[in-house]
Amino acid sequence: MHLILNDVTPLHWAVGGAGIAAVTLALLFLTGRRLGISTGFEDACSLVLDAPYFRRSSLLGDRNWRLQFVAGLLLGGFLSAVLSGGWSPTWDLGMFDEVIGWGAGAKLVWMFVGGLFIGFGTRLAGGCTSGHGIFGISNLELPSFVTTASFMLAGIITTHIIYRVMFEA
Amino acid sequence: MVLLYVFLGTVFGFVLSRSGAADYNYIQGMFLLEKFQLYGIIGTAVLIGIPGVYLLKRHGHTASGAMLIVRGKPRHRGNIAGGILFGIGWSITGMCPGPIVVNIGEGKIYALAALAGALTGAALFGSLYERLRRPFRLPALQYGTGDG
Repeated sequence: MHLILNDVTPLHWAVGGAGIAAVTLALLFLTGRRLGISTGFEDACSLVLDAPYFRRSSLLGDRNWRLQFVAGLLLGGFLSAVLSGGWSPTWDLGMFDEVIGWGAGAKLVWMFVGGLFIGFGTRLAGGCTSGHGIFGISNLELPSFVTTASFMLAGIITTHIIYRVMFEA
Repeated sequence: MVLLYVFLGTVFGFVLSRSGAADYNYIQGMFLLEKFQLYGIIGTAVLIGIPGVYLLKRHGHTASGAMLIVRGKPRHRGNIAGGILFGIGWSITGMCPGPIVVNIGEGKIYALAALAGALTGAALFGSLYERLRRPFRLPALQYGTGDG
């Protein structure tokens, strides 16, 4: 099975996992920071919104490094495309196209709605796959085990509803 | 330091892109319990991460000699409720927060809509924080729900 991106053969899972661990530990050792992406949504909000939640010093004091890290994520995705056969804008969405088959407009609505759940949910939970699932569990934090179990279970149920009930694959 | 964060983010983004962690089909395969790839990735990362974080904390200093203190995330009812909402969103989009940005970098146009939704959701959450604080037993506003 290949990636949607340029039909690339993916890295072995052990290599991918080791790479993620290497960045996590390098970030901690070199800068003392804990890995975590979803606070970046709050960082971005704090650039334009002035609700008290986005003006608190604990957020503003940590904003710049995370936005720089997130800029790196963008660059990493871009380089991955360039180095695997070229970068070009695409609407390809793998099994969504094969099974559900909606066009561009509906896809944008679907993604926006999913994004709402992600933005609200990760901030209510205090983290996402990286902050809870990777770093929090690596640091053996109870809230991270609870959150990770919650989002994995919810994801398993939701995907089964989408691809086994609503749209049968 | 700016370059260090951008560099680490770039490596992280590249690995997410090439391992399948930012790939819609692999995410759905994980949730359908049909593909091992993502379980292998997360499991390996955590199996290396647990001793790694432990040893770095015991070492007690960063590379530049500063004190290395890891502050744990707070525990509250948002862990379960927010986790469930996030899991639904991860399934719908096939992307968690990092991979949303990675997919935009790869040229996936629809990922821009997922980012717009995520920013809107975070903005909504922040605006409602004081009202959500009591039912979900969230920390005081100046602390937030947890970094990451």
